[in-house]
Amino acid sequence: MKLKQLLTVACLSLAVAFPMAAQASGGGVALKHAEVDVTSQEQIRRGLTVFVDVCMGCHSAKYVTYKGLIDYPEIGLSREAVDELRGDSPLTSGMITDLSPEDAAVSYGKVPPDLSLIVNARRGGADYIYSLLTGFESDPAGEVPDGNYNEYFPGHRIAMPDPLGWLDHDEADTAELEAQANDVSAFLTFIGDPHQNERHAIGKYVMIFLILLTIVLYLLKKEVWKDVKH
Amino acid sequence: MLDKIMKSKLFGWVDERTGAEAIIKSQLTEYEVPKNLNYMWNFGSLALLVLVLQILTGIFLAMYYKPSAALTMGGYTVAFDSVERIMRDVNFGWLIRYMHAVGASAFFVVVYMHIGRGLYYGSYKGPRELLWIIGVVILLIMQGAAFFGYLLPWGQMSFWGATVITNLFGALPVIGGFLQEVLRGGFAVGDPTLNRFFSLHYLFPLLLVAIVGGHVHALHVVHSNNPTGLDVHEGKSTIPFHPYYTIKDAFGVGVFLTFYCYVVFFNPQMGGYFIEVDNYVPANNLQTPPHIAPVWYLTPWYTILRSFESKLLGVVAMGASLAILFVLPFLDRSKVRSARYRPVYRQMVYLFFVTVIILGYCGHSAPTPTLKLVGQITTAYYFAFFLLLPFVHKFEKTKPLPEEI
Amino acid sequence: MSDTLDHTRRNFLYVAAGGMGAVAAGATIVPFIGSMLPAADTLAASKTEFDVSTVTAGQLVVIQWQGKPVFVVNRTAELLKQVDGHDEVLKDANSEAIEEVSAAWITPENRKYRAIKPEYLIMVASCTHLGCIPLFKPSPGRKEWGDSVPEDWPGGWHCPCHGSLYDVSGRVMNGSPAPHNLHLMPYEYTSDTQVVIG
Repeated sequence: MKLKQLLTVACLSLAVAFPMAAQASGGGVALKHAEVDVTSQEQIRRGLTVFVDVCMGCHSAKYVTYKGLIDYPEIGLSREAVDELRGDSPLTSGMITDLSPEDAAVSYGKVPPDLSLIVNARRGGADYIYSLLTGFESDPAGEVPDGNYNEYFPGHRIAMPDPLGWLDHDEADTAELEAQANDVSAFLTFIGDPHQNERHAIGKYVMIFLILLTIVLYLLKKEVWKDVKH
Repeated sequence: MLDKIMKSKLFGWVDERTGAEAIIKSQLTEYEVPKNLNYMWNFGSLALLVLVLQILTGIFLAMYYKPSAALTMGGYTVAFDSVERIMRDVNFGWLIRYMHAVGASAFFVVVYMHIGRGLYYGSYKGPRELLWIIGVVILLIMQGAAFFGYLLPWGQMSFWGATVITNLFGALPVIGGFLQEVLRGGFAVGDPTLNRFFSLHYLFPLLLVAIVGGHVHALHVVHSNNPTGLDVHEGKSTIPFHPYYTIKDAFGVGVFLTFYCYVVFFNPQMGGYFIEVDNYVPANNLQTPPHIAPVWYLTPWYTILRSFESKLLGVVAMGASLAILFVLPFLDRSKVRSARYRPVYRQMVYLFFVTVIILGYCGHSAPTPTLKLVGQITTAYYFAFFLLLPFVHKFEKTKPLPEEI
Repeated sequence: MSDTLDHTRRNFLYVAAGGMGAVAAGATIVPFIGSMLPAADTLAASKTEFDVSTVTAGQLVVIQWQGKPVFVVNRTAELLKQVDGHDEVLKDANSEAIEEVSAAWITPENRKYRAIKPEYLIMVASCTHLGCIPLFKPSPGRKEWGDSVPEDWPGGWHCPCHGSLYDVSGRVMNGSPAPHNLHLMPYEYTSDTQVVIG
């Protein structure tokens, strides 16, 4: 019987620990680590700037509304700042790129995916996005043209041209480019699950309460079972 | 406190019109249960709790979910959009969605532990054969409900998982084509499929409530087994269900909720096991994801399916692996119930548990030649476990049984 | 056996477990009922913009605000004169019953017009009895409207469902089952002709 209980606990602990190990690699090449803090309003705002200035040229984030940029405390932009960003788009619309899917297919061969959920939709999450953005290199085999060869993209041939200008960048610019990649990864991680901070906060109280309740129930069980010879 | 309520006038009024007192006595306060049950007996009540949780969260999700595969901007659909609306705009929608997704996996964890208990302690043997059979029916309906539910978000895995499984049915001779069309409602998985799967997903758990009622009733007629497998006689070695097992079950619920809430609040995707990465990508009927696998709780049967070259043989084997569960009570001829006292059967059962875990691992991974071989060997043992059972009792030297529990 | 022994501990634990269980149950209900309150995107759709210059003289249009019907009437000078002279048949001539909505702009002078700009009356088109949309019957007397209106009809609205009557400022008349004047809602002019309702 003790063996069974041990097995049960072992399986459950494995189940909890396993996913952390699973995240480490991205299709073979070990991913770089992204410095992301989804509780940092500063980083998320910087990431939003990168998103608007660079990514929105081709990508939409349709589940992020301009109103959300005001309402989410992690972003908390002013009405004026958002009015400037949205131009003619209504306040309740999502952040949609001006690049039509037809034009994109002609220019890049593929329609750029919506980025609202990209961090959840790729193995490696934020680490993968960060690695991808800082992973443009020259193809060692010389087959894939510069700007389309990426260390971390499965198959190495990516339709998206180097958005941050990582390839052949000046050494002096490395820190800034890495910061931009980290910041936009933070923004994308946040918008992939905008209630995560709230969820963690509530979760803390729930766990404390449940542990206390379980202890009380255990003591009650022990107490009541004193009557039984077992 | 219960006796205070039962002595009140209001209760008397209700009892006169429903027979409530007799029910409470026969099912709770005077219902006799062996006193030596261990914590493996908690999983039945936990399964009931998770069923209730799934129905509750499901009903509230259904207030916002829209079962339509009509396309929206960016390659998404009305259904996918409605799930994201629940995650972002609906008050506490994110919590209800995560509870439902984690709950689905939790349901299978709990039920597999419950079945494992049944296998190990011989709870399927007479007079509990029908109880076991009803349980297998519950398992099948659970799998159906999970399969229908998984299509609803209309992600890549949703769509392609449904495509693969409905194609499976197509492999059956004579009725296959008809079955496939009836399931899909069209030439391929599409909007008609989604709508009917939503309807069936709502229906199946409600069917379960009725069947679980039958399951508990069947149990209450024959009474619970216990770790020794011995028949127990009322009075000496039994105790009333209430308050002893109600409180022990309550403690079990506390432990379960602690794990469950930890996952819901801190790791609901479980590294892609509970909510798969590919399902955050909207369904694309022109592009299969590089790696299709069913959700973890269906993977053992997926391996059995894939272990055969012939598509038809694979489908038949998969069906047989479920069907054989029904006849287990009649395959095992040993007079001894509990594996505690059956050294040969105990090894077989442990090996069976390990086999199912390995089958699951193979089903989740990409099919390399090695894993395929491992899958085939474990599939063979899966069936061997059942097919050997009628013979085990002939040569197994069981350990001496205790006098009483 | 343990009838008198240490039942205090047992009772304490029962109460503690029961109490915490009740707290847990209550806490669990909160997100479920909460999820039934309007979602964030529903709340975001709470304002409607409208250009009043699209309404011609004497015309009534019905627009939507928060899913409710709203009257926008372009009141001619004729119609504006009809707000006077019948205070005694009005239940709430000064719109005192529900003040808050119009408190920002109501003055003793414009009370009878019940609008920021008297020539454009904007109010909720829902009879305050049971919610039907009243019929616009602006001309005084019975010439156009027959017996559906009283002989001394000053012009206004008549609700076909249970017969409530309102004047040209939407003020409810005596004898009507409706208790209140047709409701005003918060609105403001962002330009000469652009109104934001809500």
